[in-house]
Amino acid sequence: METFYSILPELIRIVICAVCGAVIVFGNALVMGYAERKLAGHIMLRPGPMEVGPHGIYQLVIDGLKLMGKQLVVPAKADPLLFRFAPLLAFAPVFVPLLVLPFSEKIQGFDLDIGLLVILALASINLLAILIGGWASNNKYSLFGVFRAVSQNVAYEIPMLLSLLAVVFMTNSFSLKAVVAAQSPVWFIVIQPLAFLIYLVSIVAETNRAPFDLPEAESELTAGFHTEYSGMSFSLFVLAEYANMFIVSSVATVFFLGGSSGIPLPYFEYSGIIWFMLKVYSLMFFLVWIRWTYPRTRFDQLMNFCWKYLIPFALVNLLITVVMVKLL
Amino acid sequence: MSMDVKALEDDRHHRYVLNMGPQHPSTHGVLRVLLELEGEYAMNLLPVLGYGHRCHEKIAEFKPAKSFMPNTARMDYLGALIYNHGFAQLLEKAAGIEVPERVEYIRVITSELNRIQSHLLWYGAYLLDLGAFTPIMYSFDDREHILDILEDVTGSRLTYCYFRVGGVSKDIDEKFVTGTRAFIKRLRSRFPMYEDLVNGNIILQKRLIDVGELTPHTCARYGITGPLLRGTGVAYDMRRAEPYSIYSKFDFEIPTGTKGDCMASFMVRFHEMEQSLRIIEQALDGLPEGSIMAAKVPKKLKIPAGDYNSSVEAPRGELSYYLVSDGSDVPYRLKVRTPSYSNLSVIPEMCQGMLLSDVVSAMGALDLVIPEIDR
Amino acid sequence: MDINQVKKQWQKLSTAVEDIEYAVSGHDYNVCLERDKVRDFATLMLNEGFYLVDLMAVHVTPAIEVVYQFAHFETRCRVLARAFVDDKVEMPTISDIYQGANWHERETRDFHGVVFIGHPYLKPLILPEEDVDLKPLLKAEAKLKDVDAVRRKPPEPAPAPKAKPAPKPEVKPAAVKSQEQS
Repeated sequence: METFYSILPELIRIVICAVCGAVIVFGNALVMGYAERKLAGHIMLRPGPMEVGPHGIYQLVIDGLKLMGKQLVVPAKADPLLFRFAPLLAFAPVFVPLLVLPFSEKIQGFDLDIGLLVILALASINLLAILIGGWASNNKYSLFGVFRAVSQNVAYEIPMLLSLLAVVFMTNSFSLKAVVAAQSPVWFIVIQPLAFLIYLVSIVAETNRAPFDLPEAESELTAGFHTEYSGMSFSLFVLAEYANMFIVSSVATVFFLGGSSGIPLPYFEYSGIIWFMLKVYSLMFFLVWIRWTYPRTRFDQLMNFCWKYLIPFALVNLLITVVMVKLL
Repeated sequence: MSMDVKALEDDRHHRYVLNMGPQHPSTHGVLRVLLELEGEYAMNLLPVLGYGHRCHEKIAEFKPAKSFMPNTARMDYLGALIYNHGFAQLLEKAAGIEVPERVEYIRVITSELNRIQSHLLWYGAYLLDLGAFTPIMYSFDDREHILDILEDVTGSRLTYCYFRVGGVSKDIDEKFVTGTRAFIKRLRSRFPMYEDLVNGNIILQKRLIDVGELTPHTCARYGITGPLLRGTGVAYDMRRAEPYSIYSKFDFEIPTGTKGDCMASFMVRFHEMEQSLRIIEQALDGLPEGSIMAAKVPKKLKIPAGDYNSSVEAPRGELSYYLVSDGSDVPYRLKVRTPSYSNLSVIPEMCQGMLLSDVVSAMGALDLVIPEIDR
Repeated sequence: MDINQVKKQWQKLSTAVEDIEYAVSGHDYNVCLERDKVRDFATLMLNEGFYLVDLMAVHVTPAIEVVYQFAHFETRCRVLARAFVDDKVEMPTISDIYQGANWHERETRDFHGVVFIGHPYLKPLILPEEDVDLKPLLKAEAKLKDVDAVRRKPPEPAPAPKAKPAPKPEVKPAAVKSQEQS
C-alpha cells in the first residue's frame, strides 16, 4: 500500500498526460483538418467548406460522425487480423511523444534524458503500421505504396537524425528541456540554418505529404497504402498523419526555433505554450502551403535527392559542428 | 541458349501485372492499361479499349447524314465544336453548298474558343496527374468564362451542336463579341502567372523533360498528329497544311518544340492557346455582316455518290471524316479518324521501360479523351 | 519529296493512279492496288515520309474494300489506296511497317471481319472478346451496294468514263457473310 501511495502522484500525472495527449491529438486533427481544407480552398480560389456552421467550422465534426458511421470493409483476400490492426498501430504510438514535449517551461509530461530518442523511436512505428496495412490489404496499389513508403521513410530518417544530431552535439543532451534552455540567447536556426533546412525537407518526406507524397500518390497509385481502408480505420491513418505532423513540427520548434521562448507574457512558465503553438502551427502552415503548391516528384528523383544531396550535406554539417564544438 | 531462356523465364517471374483502369484517377475516363511491371518499371503495356464504344459509325449508316451532327459532339466532348466543324464541312463539300462568309467567321471564333477550353482543361488535368492539385482550379476558372460565352450562343456547355450544314444555328450578338474580347484580355493577363507558377517549376521540369521522347519518324509510323507531333519539331497543323474554312486569312504561328518529349508537347499546347487567341482577335476584327445560313440547303440532303474526306485540326490532332456515299441522303459508310486513337497506340512503344510515374506523365501528355478513341 | 517521282513508283505497284480534285473530295490521289502489293506500297509510302492517317474497310460487292489513307507532313498530299480482300476475307498486314495500323487492323477485324495475315495480335479491340464474330458494320443483304454505286460519277461533260479503277476479284458475295443488323 505504501508503494501505491508513493507512486500515486506519478500515476495521476500519467493519466492527466494521457488525457491531455488525447485532447491534443484529436484537437489537432480537428484544427488541421479544417485549416487544411480552408487553406487549400483559398489557395485554389475557392472558399472551402462553407455549409456546416459559420464558414463550415463544424464540417470536421460532421465528417468525423460520418466516418464513424461507415462500414469497415475488409477485402475478401486480405489478412483480416493485420488489416484491422494496422490503423491502431499507426494511431496508438502518436500519444507517447507528446508526453516528452516541453510545451512551456512548466507544461511538460516528463522530462526524460532520452526525450529525443523516445520521439524518434516511436515516430518510426508509424512506418511499420503503413507496412502492415499495405501488405495486409492484398492490393497491388497498396503494395506499391508500401514499397515506396518504406524506402522513402528509411532513407529520409537518416538526414533527419543527422540534422538533429548536430544540435545534440551542441547541447550535449537528448533532453528536450535542455535543448530549449540552451537556446536562450540565439535560436539554433541561426547557428544551424543548413540543419534546419535539411530537417524541414526530411519531415515533408517523413510525413508522406506532397510534394513527397509518393506512398499515396493519387494519380499513380489511386490512394497508395490506404486504398482499401474505409470509415474509421481510414481516418485513424489520417489522425496519425496529422499527429505526426504535429510532432515533427514540435521537434523542429524545440530544436531550431527556441521552443516556448519568445516575448515574455504574464505567467510565462505556462503562457509560453502560446509561442510554442504559434511556432508549431506556422511550420504546419508551411507544410500545407507547399502541399497545395508543388507537383509531385518522381520516386527515383526523391531518393536521389536524399542519398546524393541531403545525407552528404547533413554529414558535412555534422562534421563541421563537431569540429567547432571541440575547438570553441 | 536454353540457359538464356531459362534466365528470361526466371526474370519474368519477378514481373507482375498491374491493372490500371478502367477506373483509375489518371486514365481520364474508361481506358484500361495492363502494365507488366518489374519493380516500378513498366516492361510491357497493353491498352484495352472499348469501354465507351457507342457505335457511332453504325448509327451514321442508319440516319440522314444531317442528323448525325449531334453524334459528332459526343465523340470528343472537349472539342465538340471542332468535330461539328469537320462534319459540317464534309457535308458541305459533298453537297457543294457555299457557306456565307459570316458563318465561317463564327465557326472559326467558336472553334478556337473550344480549342482553348480543351487546352485549359488538359492543362489542369495534366498537372493534377503530376500531383499539383491547385492549377486545375485556376484553369477551370478561365475555362468557365469560355463556357459561359459559348453557352450564350450555342445553348449548351459541353456537347455543342451549334453548326448546321450550311450555317450555324444562332447568330452571335454584341454580348458575345464584347464577352470574347474581355476574355481574350483576361486570359492574356493570366499567362504570365501560369508561366511563373507552373511552367518554370523545377519539379515539373524534372518530371517532363526527356520523358516519352518521340521522333518525327515514330509519329509517321503511328500516325501521331497534333501537339505531340509539333513537339518533335514538325510544324504540321491542318489549319496550315490543308487550310480549311478561312484559316488561310489569319496570321498565326504554329508553335513547335524540338525534343519531342513531354515538356515539348506541354509547351506547344500552352503556346497554342495564345495563337488561338490571336486568331479569334483577328476574326472578331474582320467579322462581316451577313446571313448565317446558306441560301439553299435542301431539306433532304442528297450526297452525290463517291467518297469524301474532311480533315480538321482538333485539339488533339488531325480529325478526318471519311464518307462513302451511294447517292442517297444516308451515308453508306462513315469513318471517323480520331486523333487520340492513333496517338494512344504509341503508348506500348513510348512507355517501355519507363517508371510508373513516367507512364502517368506520358499518358497525360497524350491528352486523352477516351470517348473519342472508343467512338 | 518529288510527287512526280513518287507517282511513277505508285504506277509501278498499282493498277490505277487517279488524280482527284481536292476541293471536291478532300483527297489528291486515288491509288488502286492488288492486295499482294499493299505491303510494298506501304513500305514505299513510309520511305517517302507519308504517315498513315487511317485504315478502314467498306463493305461492297464483290468484296470488302480496304482503304488506306496517307498524308504527308510537309506537303499537302492526301492519298487513298484501296484494295479488295480475297475470298477468304484476308488481307496482308501492314502493322509491321506502319505500327499505327495495328489498332486500325484490329478494329477492322472487329467491325468487318477482315483477317489481316501476319498481324501479331488480332484480338478484338473495340468490341468485347465474346463478340469476336459480330462484325457489326457488315451491310445487310438488302442494303449492300455494288462498288460502282459508291464511286464518284464522272462530271457530265466528261469524255469517257475512266476504266474501272478496281479489279474485281472473282468472289461470290456469299463469301463475305452479311449479317442482318437493322
